[in-house]
Amino acid sequence: MKNIRNFAIIAHIDHGKSTLADRFIQLCGGLNEREMQDQVLDSMDLERERGITIKAQSVSLNYKAKNGETYLLNIIDTPGHVDFSYEVSRSLSACEGALLIVDAAQGVEAQSVANCFTAIDNGLEVLPVLNKIDLPSAEPDRVCQEIEEIIGVDASDAILISAKSGQGVPELLEQLVKRIPAPQGDDNSPLKALIIDSWFDNYLGVVSLVRVIDGSIEVGKKLRVMSTGQDYEINEVGIFTPKRTSKKILRTGEVGYVVTGIKDIHGAPVGDTLTSSKSPAAEPLPGFRKIKPRVFAGLFPVDSNTYEAFRDALAKLSLNDAALFYEPETSQALGFGFRCGFLGMLHMEIIQERLEREYDLSLITTAPTVIYQVETTAGEIVYVDNPAKLPAVDKISEIREPIIRADILVPQDYIGNVIALCIEKRGEQKKLHYVGNQISLSYEIPMNEVVLDFFDRLKSVSRGYASFDYSFVQFQAAQLVKLDILINGERIDALSCIVHKDVSQRRGRELTEKMKEFIPRQMFEISIQAAIGSKVLAKQVIKALRKNVTAKCYGGDISRKRKLLEKQKAGKKRMKQCGSVQIPQEAFMAILHVGRDN
Amino acid sequence: MFDFKQNPPLSLYIHFPWCLQKCPYCDFNSHAIAAGEAPESAYIDALIRDLEFELPRIWGRRLISVFIGGGTPSLLSAQALDRLMSVLRSHLNIHSEIEITLEANPGAAEADRFAAYRQMGINRLSIGVQSFADEKLKRLGRIHDGDNAVKAIVMAQAAGFENINIDLMFGLPDQTLDEAISDLRIALEHKPGHISWYQLTIEPNTVFYKQPPVLPDDDDIWAMQQQGKVLLQESAFKQYEISAYALPKQHSVHNTNYWQFGDYLGIGAGAHGKLTDVANGMISRFVRHRIPDSYMQKAGAEQVITQQTRLNRADVSLEFMMNALRLTEGINTALFLQRTGLPISVIDAQLQDAEKRGLLEWDIEKLKPTAFGLRYLNDLLQIFMPSESKQPSEL
Repeated sequence: MKNIRNFAIIAHIDHGKSTLADRFIQLCGGLNEREMQDQVLDSMDLERERGITIKAQSVSLNYKAKNGETYLLNIIDTPGHVDFSYEVSRSLSACEGALLIVDAAQGVEAQSVANCFTAIDNGLEVLPVLNKIDLPSAEPDRVCQEIEEIIGVDASDAILISAKSGQGVPELLEQLVKRIPAPQGDDNSPLKALIIDSWFDNYLGVVSLVRVIDGSIEVGKKLRVMSTGQDYEINEVGIFTPKRTSKKILRTGEVGYVVTGIKDIHGAPVGDTLTSSKSPAAEPLPGFRKIKPRVFAGLFPVDSNTYEAFRDALAKLSLNDAALFYEPETSQALGFGFRCGFLGMLHMEIIQERLEREYDLSLITTAPTVIYQVETTAGEIVYVDNPAKLPAVDKISEIREPIIRADILVPQDYIGNVIALCIEKRGEQKKLHYVGNQISLSYEIPMNEVVLDFFDRLKSVSRGYASFDYSFVQFQAAQLVKLDILINGERIDALSCIVHKDVSQRRGRELTEKMKEFIPRQMFEISIQAAIGSKVLAKQVIKALRKNVTAKCYGGDISRKRKLLEKQKAGKKRMKQCGSVQIPQEAFMAILHVGRDN
Repeated sequence: MFDFKQNPPLSLYIHFPWCLQKCPYCDFNSHAIAAGEAPESAYIDALIRDLEFELPRIWGRRLISVFIGGGTPSLLSAQALDRLMSVLRSHLNIHSEIEITLEANPGAAEADRFAAYRQMGINRLSIGVQSFADEKLKRLGRIHDGDNAVKAIVMAQAAGFENINIDLMFGLPDQTLDEAISDLRIALEHKPGHISWYQLTIEPNTVFYKQPPVLPDDDDIWAMQQQGKVLLQESAFKQYEISAYALPKQHSVHNTNYWQFGDYLGIGAGAHGKLTDVANGMISRFVRHRIPDSYMQKAGAEQVITQQTRLNRADVSLEFMMNALRLTEGINTALFLQRTGLPISVIDAQLQDAEKRGLLEWDIEKLKPTAFGLRYLNDLLQIFMPSESKQPSEL
């Protein structure tokens, strides 16, 4: 046990976390040259394409240190995006140490700050590492100062590396063996193992990534999932090197996978404790706080015949994604679908993309919304995650919106832009102070304003330099109204949104203008109205298409005309028929495109 | 698979794949060639071999029309064409009164041959005028001017052609409404029996597609179409298809056969054919080699066919509608069964949907697009698209 080192890598997107993990694997001989595929840890195609890590992963490596001893290094990879911070806290709870990777040119970013604080709270030894030291724009002194000022970690012995070229990586390995403590625990105590992650494998069933705190997990013996009390035989245990390598036993302090006969992912909940059936532990481990979805949207199949396939796909996806919430939703306009809850916008995009790509579904997604707290005149508190379900105006005594605290780090040059953006988003400044070349800002902002386009806007007004992290603060009363969209006089429930009263007039106008852009001309004239209750705030008209017919169809070659029809049909694939009007996907998302040019 | 009571009417299409110049809007199988350079004798030989090879497939069936199209078939010398016509008469069941059309371009050289064409039995001339305005013709890459066009019509009439079609396009680059209507007036002054009044469409794989010209806006194009239609009607021309207008009894038999989902044998480079096999209950499409040299090399053998496709049920219904619904008067409902071998009930749901949306009218006697359906024909046809568009099965 004294030669085990469990550690996580904390880094902002693009700061080189996955590249560094690859370097470790190479140096320790985990894979040969031929097997080495860039960023082996990001195993989903989507992860590799987007260059982000979504799910926690682990890799176990044998490292022969200069002192002649061989150490078992367990690296727990962590996602770098704010939407997935819950995965980070899970990963950290399996470790004794963490490498804080900071880009030596860009400096500290808000996301890393938040994750680093979590690591410190969990009692982890944090090693600051400056990456991309070989870039001409690298400023190690300034960045070290930032680390000390913002995070409060001593950066005087920060390790300078270039994960890309490999420079400094051997020294880093030596340092981490020296500075990160070995795990503690009792091999002879009853088994206690923490489930860091569980996923569904088509061949193995449920596989769980665990950290053994006390005792050991041995093939053939029986274990118990403490929350459910269910017992299972242990079919296989092992580690990822990063190839899946089975072993006979996982001992105290080790990180590895466990396969039992569990068929359903809910049978092995993340954060739960595994113990032995024979001599169970008295108390479970503390576990993790339950994660709650924050952003909601309706997902509807374009072709209602694919509803069943859609339901099955959601069930399968949720097997590997405990954060994905879904329940049936019926819309007058869009028919049968599901109301889905996500951790954030990126999570939503990823789920939608996976559904379409891996399950070949064609979906319409309604505009994302946050959850509102509504106090009715009867004194009841209801939570509304769908604008269409907002109680009637005369039944509402108060609507409260979720407020978040946004922690932003931004270089001084862009502070004006960022403050202007926060004010536009109804933000209230809580804190502002200078650290190195950056400014640390805290704002309380209605979450509703943040989910729409805050992240993109923040990036664009700061040329990509600002970074941010957020956390939920409270529900707060606000003057909110439901803005309805009527198409040819018919209210389209899936297009309703909840907006602040002060901007409702403008939003209505902008929304109808955008919809006019997105809805193609059709056989009939189309009127688009924005209304609050029966009061119409704005109206746009889309003129009818003059005609839609192929002029000449001579000669025997019908295939070309057929291709044309097929092309038109494909164009309608992402459109939903509402009454006689075809509405494209973009129109449902029009709210994401308004308010930018002001 | 399909239950046919009888053969549909049969037409013959013959393709000539050369032009003196390729027009920037044209996506037909035509290849530019200098005057007199086309290997016409070898090509006629190939057509004859190709026809002889196909004879067993159409054995005993009577032809209702022949169409020699292109390219520019009027580039063929009178002797070469005469040799082809003699072979057609000796090999096929051709009555003297059936419609035999030749596509002609209004170049001076071709017009001189019109009398000879008429004498060898060609009785309908389709003249690719497109416009009478010199500047527009230049933009379209045509090699003739307005005077040539007028002269061609006059000479065709002098040569004894009573059945003349004029192809006229509207919605040309920078064209005004007045210019479009003026073209139509000139055409009407020369009293043809048939006019194709059709909108310039930018097709993929053309020069115009790569370098799009500035076209009139939708509203102007619509006005051209509507005013043109009124003008044609005032001159006793009746619209019988999206773009086809004719004096009484002057409609094109050949094209009407396409629109009524009849059979046609297609010979020549890149020619398409569609034939019904009553005995085996199937409909097949055929495509021939499109490069003239390889066509000539392979003509006379099975290898000349590059693609043979057997239509499935969904294809057949859709393709029937793609043709039939172009006809302003539609069809007799019974024609569906006759031509597709399928009972009309297979498209019951689609017909009802289309009717509900005001795009189509039908009963047991007649089936026709409404004026609205004709205007949005592509939307109407979408209703008949197979829900999962599978490619027709290759044989």
